[in-house]
Amino acid sequence: MKKKIKEPVSSIVGEKKVDGTLIVSYTLLTLFAIIIIVPFFNVLVISITSEGEYVRSPFVLFPAEPTFDSYRALFADGRIWIGYRTTLTILLLGLPVNMLLTVCTAYALSKADFPGKKIFMLYALFTMFFSGGIIPLYLLIKSLALTNSIWSVVMASGINTFYLIIMRNYFLSLPKELTESAKIDGANEWAILFRIILPLSTPILATITLFYAVDRWNEWFNAMIFIRDMEKTPLQLVLRSIVIDAQMIDSSVLGGSSAASESMTRFATGMKMAAVVVTMAPIMVVYPFLQKYFVKGVLVGAIKT
Amino acid sequence: MTMKKQRTASSVPKKTSLWKRILLNWQVYVLLLPGLIWYTIFCYMPMGGLSLAFKTYKANLGIWMSPWIGLQNYEFVFRDPDFFRALGNTVVISFCRILFQFPVPIILALLINEIRSQRYKKVLQTIYTFPHFLSWVIVASIMLNLLGNNGTVNAMLSALGMEPINFLGDEKIFRPMLYITENWKGAGWSAIIYMAAISGIDTEQYEAADIDGAGRLMKMVYITLPCIKPTIVVMFILAVGGIMNAGFDQIFNLSNPAVRDVSDILDTYIYRITFQSSADFSFSTAISLFKSVINFIFLISCDRVSKLVGENGLFA
Repeated sequence: MKKKIKEPVSSIVGEKKVDGTLIVSYTLLTLFAIIIIVPFFNVLVISITSEGEYVRSPFVLFPAEPTFDSYRALFADGRIWIGYRTTLTILLLGLPVNMLLTVCTAYALSKADFPGKKIFMLYALFTMFFSGGIIPLYLLIKSLALTNSIWSVVMASGINTFYLIIMRNYFLSLPKELTESAKIDGANEWAILFRIILPLSTPILATITLFYAVDRWNEWFNAMIFIRDMEKTPLQLVLRSIVIDAQMIDSSVLGGSSAASESMTRFATGMKMAAVVVTMAPIMVVYPFLQKYFVKGVLVGAIKT
Repeated sequence: MTMKKQRTASSVPKKTSLWKRILLNWQVYVLLLPGLIWYTIFCYMPMGGLSLAFKTYKANLGIWMSPWIGLQNYEFVFRDPDFFRALGNTVVISFCRILFQFPVPIILALLINEIRSQRYKKVLQTIYTFPHFLSWVIVASIMLNLLGNNGTVNAMLSALGMEPINFLGDEKIFRPMLYITENWKGAGWSAIIYMAAISGIDTEQYEAADIDGAGRLMKMVYITLPCIKPTIVVMFILAVGGIMNAGFDQIFNLSNPAVRDVSDILDTYIYRITFQSSADFSFSTAISLFKSVINFIFLISCDRVSKLVGENGLFA
């Protein structure tokens, strides 16, 4: 492309740079991988270290006597159970809503020209670039009498427009002949979608289901605003109250009596880290499946709408 | 347009009236309906609710019936020093994010592309993308444990006889920590988009360059980078269109009152005045609308500019 490449001298320089670029790439990339892993490792180690050992040396590589005391303390505390129950409820109610809305809308928007298609498409796309923000949404939820109900969190994130587009692009990539022959046989759209399109779309269905599942699992902001009932605190907010709020108290109130006495009876740091592990464990479990699908280039089509 | 219609006309009888075409497609509209209702209630009604910015909110009257007061809310907003502090922080943090975060995934993708072993590539990808799937609540918890006053890094420093560093409580260090932790969490995921673009490059170009004796670095700079430019442009437009966002989730979970002067952004300010201190819904909606409009203007103008200079826009 550029003339520089064609200069004969550059071949010698180029040879040298082959090694240089490779070494630099491998070094930097491996370093970055280590930087990502170390904090996780640190969390895991602290969660299975006993208080005595932690106090002696807070940066142990691996505890001499691994213990599950912190996990026992965490489960005895009880808040984590409320979190798990709430988040699982959000997941079980939310996921079908998400998938049903997304699949139906994506399929309709993938159909050949029908009157108003462009307008409907724009109607969905516009929400990616402009939103009413949290206050009108909060007032809306309030006027629908959904505050303090799990349904507020479930309904507030019905369709993720980004996922909608990925799914629509996938439907568009399926051969048209399939649906046309079914139509001649007199099948209705509902039957075509469920009997022909969806069985052919398992990779994208799996991907989007997993994406939504992770999103529901990570739900915290809407719940923080819509739900005040302590019995309906989702897992992420339970973690927040165990780790982040506690940290604030530690740093703002020096020698706060309540926080200090709490850590006397329990190993606070260990319990916090156990809470982190317990909160992210399910994501670690589904992650290999996520990984398997997203690399297949599902996201390529999404960038170009 | 007309070409398109003729092509699809095979399934629909020619020269049908609009009503007939609507009737023919009634099942499609039925499928579309739930989604449309959802968008209307949960996206467009809140957008309409932004009219609160020009009203004074009365709880018993609701958004729609509350009385109009014109630009009075904005008179208060533009006299509020906290608003200007938040606006300044938002702009500075967003700008620095483009500077210190935007290039990282591109560099990562370019470097990963150099790795020959497919297996190692996959291992790296697995590690890099994982933190993206964790919420900022989790990541902030991990970071507090690592970088907090009693965190692992400080324990190490004091064991080495060094002064502990207050990573998250020092106004001078807090913002760089935002960029560093965001790169830790998100750079690997963002790199995927560029890697997908790289995998679409025609290998003939590289072969031709090999014949010309181009080294790896040269191929990276003269072939790979120009080929993924359209993707870079799209990502850049999206980044600029989010200039007023500055990352609520991250800042809300990582910051503390000690660093509020450098960390309070519009979103955290809106949250605080709406849900923590005495709620003045119209005042905070006024700020929220201001924010959304500026974002939208930036997005559209950046899109236009990139089309003017001959690049692809968002909706190319």
